[in-house]
Amino acid sequence: MLTWILRRVLAVVPVLFGVTLAVFSMLFLVPGDPVKMMLAEFVTNPDQVAQMRAQLHLDEPILQQYGRFVANAARGDLGTSIRSRRPVITEIGENVASTAQLAVAAMLVAVGVGVPLGLLAALSRNSWLDVASMGTALLGVSMPSFWLGLLLIFVFSLHLTWFPATGGGDLRHLILPSITLGTIAAAIIARLTRSSMLEVLGQDYVRTARAKGLGGFSVVVRHALKNALIPIITIFGLQFGNLLAGAVIVETVFSRPGLGRLIVGGILSKDFPLVQGTVLFVATVYVLINLLVDVAYAYADPRIRLGRA
Amino acid sequence: MRRSCPWRWFASFVALTLLTLMAPMVPTAAGQAPGTLVLGLDQEPPTLDPHASPSAVTYQIIASVTENLVYKGADGKLVPWLAESWTTSKDGRSVTFKLRRDVKFHDGTPFNADAVKFNFDRIVDPKFKAGGSRAALAGYAGSKVLDEFSVQVSFETPFAPFLTYAASGPLSIVSPKAVRESGDLVHTRPIGTGQFMMKDYVAKDHTTMVRVADYKRKVPWSDRSGPAQLETVVWKFIPEAGTRVTTLESGETQGVYNVPAQSLPRLEGNQALRIEKAPWPGVPRIWLLNITKPPLDDVKVRRAINYAIDKDAFLATIYKGTALKAGAPLTAVMLDDPAVRRVAWPFDAAKAKALLGEAGWLPGSDGIRTKSGQRLEIVLNAIEYGGGPDPTAQIIQASLQEVGIDVKIKAQARPPWYEDNYRCATHGPVMFLRSTDPDGLFALFHSSLVGGNFNWSCVKNPKLDALLEQGRRESDPAKRRAIYVSIEQFAIEEALAVPLVDELSVWAYRSGVQGVKYNFNAYPILGDATLRK
Repeated sequence: MLTWILRRVLAVVPVLFGVTLAVFSMLFLVPGDPVKMMLAEFVTNPDQVAQMRAQLHLDEPILQQYGRFVANAARGDLGTSIRSRRPVITEIGENVASTAQLAVAAMLVAVGVGVPLGLLAALSRNSWLDVASMGTALLGVSMPSFWLGLLLIFVFSLHLTWFPATGGGDLRHLILPSITLGTIAAAIIARLTRSSMLEVLGQDYVRTARAKGLGGFSVVVRHALKNALIPIITIFGLQFGNLLAGAVIVETVFSRPGLGRLIVGGILSKDFPLVQGTVLFVATVYVLINLLVDVAYAYADPRIRLGRA
Repeated sequence: MRRSCPWRWFASFVALTLLTLMAPMVPTAAGQAPGTLVLGLDQEPPTLDPHASPSAVTYQIIASVTENLVYKGADGKLVPWLAESWTTSKDGRSVTFKLRRDVKFHDGTPFNADAVKFNFDRIVDPKFKAGGSRAALAGYAGSKVLDEFSVQVSFETPFAPFLTYAASGPLSIVSPKAVRESGDLVHTRPIGTGQFMMKDYVAKDHTTMVRVADYKRKVPWSDRSGPAQLETVVWKFIPEAGTRVTTLESGETQGVYNVPAQSLPRLEGNQALRIEKAPWPGVPRIWLLNITKPPLDDVKVRRAINYAIDKDAFLATIYKGTALKAGAPLTAVMLDDPAVRRVAWPFDAAKAKALLGEAGWLPGSDGIRTKSGQRLEIVLNAIEYGGGPDPTAQIIQASLQEVGIDVKIKAQARPPWYEDNYRCATHGPVMFLRSTDPDGLFALFHSSLVGGNFNWSCVKNPKLDALLEQGRRESDPAKRRAIYVSIEQFAIEEALAVPLVDELSVWAYRSGVQGVKYNFNAYPILGDATLRK
């Protein structure tokens, strides 16, 4: 098991290396002179442009710049934001809790709605209940989150005035954004739970359990669902990445503090260090979460690690 | 034990969730005390330090927190504020301010000549990363403290725009002690001398300012002495326009900035709300015509384009009450002179066609004009915002189609858009510029700024350069005005650009909000504002 985990951890290294390369290249792939772009709103003279270029080390050879970027990043130094003149890592630190809160709450919505819905559909296969649950799931997966967000604001903030439309903070501020963000993941998890559950319900050990005379609830929850949940762990990890991406839209619609807002603000103000730093951070978190999921998966299903180790 | 794994996984997930939800949270702006006004802004300021900020949103927030040596109201007149009086030296290179003696910063330290010197020296300090403030002190030579309440500010060459800039946000005065001692807080808690002081700042969410109870002076925009009427003002950062408007309708905010044109008719029809508009100073939404690129090197074609563009179409389709027709390269609030209005181009398609004919461009078989076998094609440089090119580009295209000009819209991301402007590669972009002094035209038309910001008409004309330089030097207001009238006339007659619309700063308030005033920058000042629930 330990060797297997170690191997997985080592596999992360080239991925992270690729991430740094992609993030670093961003600056050079965007057309135009990055320094001129950053100073675009000012009346400038060549001295200021040169000063900014030197400050960002853009006057050095590219390889040296990349080396500096990776070395600094490894030490946790992601540079200084052009717009706010503060360390990027400080800006990330201020916003990461709010996004984590949103992502976890959205995941709770996704699992809390998706698993029961999928279960309901599987247990009443081909009935109207199945069609209704999967129809709902299809609707959920097809709905753009910015539209759903504005719809929820329209109904629950403007007309019913149950929840505030904007801001971060207490639970009341978290409910509409987490529903908005969690809906697509809920729909995906519902569909996956249904198919996974149907497969498991046809297995020999479920028939054995029934033959032993166990009640319907016990068979479904203790024997079938437990096994059906295994693939959901994987999708959980992948969806977590999607949630971070979705946060960009949801945080903007609901004016919540967070990493998504940070990235959008950075892009709009051409703040390259901020965008690079935040993207690198989010990508690293995504890679690490998937590593954790892999490990958890192997732990939950011995076939995985035995098959490979 | 291993068999129960998925359940343990799920349980840890639930536990983690609960822990996260219970974690100490960002303080909320909701649950306001009475006397609290909540305003929604379209963006978050990069910093609240007036000297470091490159962004208008900073000055929008701190307009009632920091004060300036002079004040420029909506009528455009300069009046005393922190300075009681001032005199400009004969050579125009220095201005001597006599300061008020009864002013203290919010941290209790006194405001005096040393403080003024510290502020201006700070802006030009090479170690300090100044924002828009640096250009406001172009050619700054130094400040001399004459006595405790007199200071002389000098420039290397005469710099007439200085007094106007001294009235604007970037040159507002902050406490030297706070700058020296507050470290990082300097970005979120500027210490000024105004009727409000900053209280807290929550990134990406809101910032709060509270009234200074012992404020005794009379502010220039009011006929009343003493502190602000409101206890507290909360500025919420709500970037999404639809959400921002909804918070006003639901009462979560009592005022919002930057009302989208498409929501304006609905809000105007709502009895519980009121719309207020203030004209932006500076350069209007304008199409800078690249006069170096054929066929725009022919003044007849440029004049024909000015005749051909139907500005009413802009107001009817895009701006819907958030703008007025523009006629000159400065907005009407900056300079509205009959001599300029007389030469402005009216919409007249027939004259446009006649001029194009005179220039040798004759109608072709497909309706587009040709000359020596070449089609009359113009490339308009436009920013692609994600939902298609700038809508103003499409109206220009439709207007010019009518007179036989084929406009190709080069819709692209911002960086290459800038590059094309620097290289004079297209027939010019549509842009705007906010500036409180007519010297803003220097950036637009001086030959030294071709290839930089913002001479994108690519004009290099000695007469125009001389006028622009003269405008910078001339300190007599009447003579200065005459210079800028000449510059505007020149720019219009040579058709260096097509002024499209003067945009307005649009605010919507709940009807209980009264008494908001606007300075020349079109930023709201809240000292006299009141709130009735």
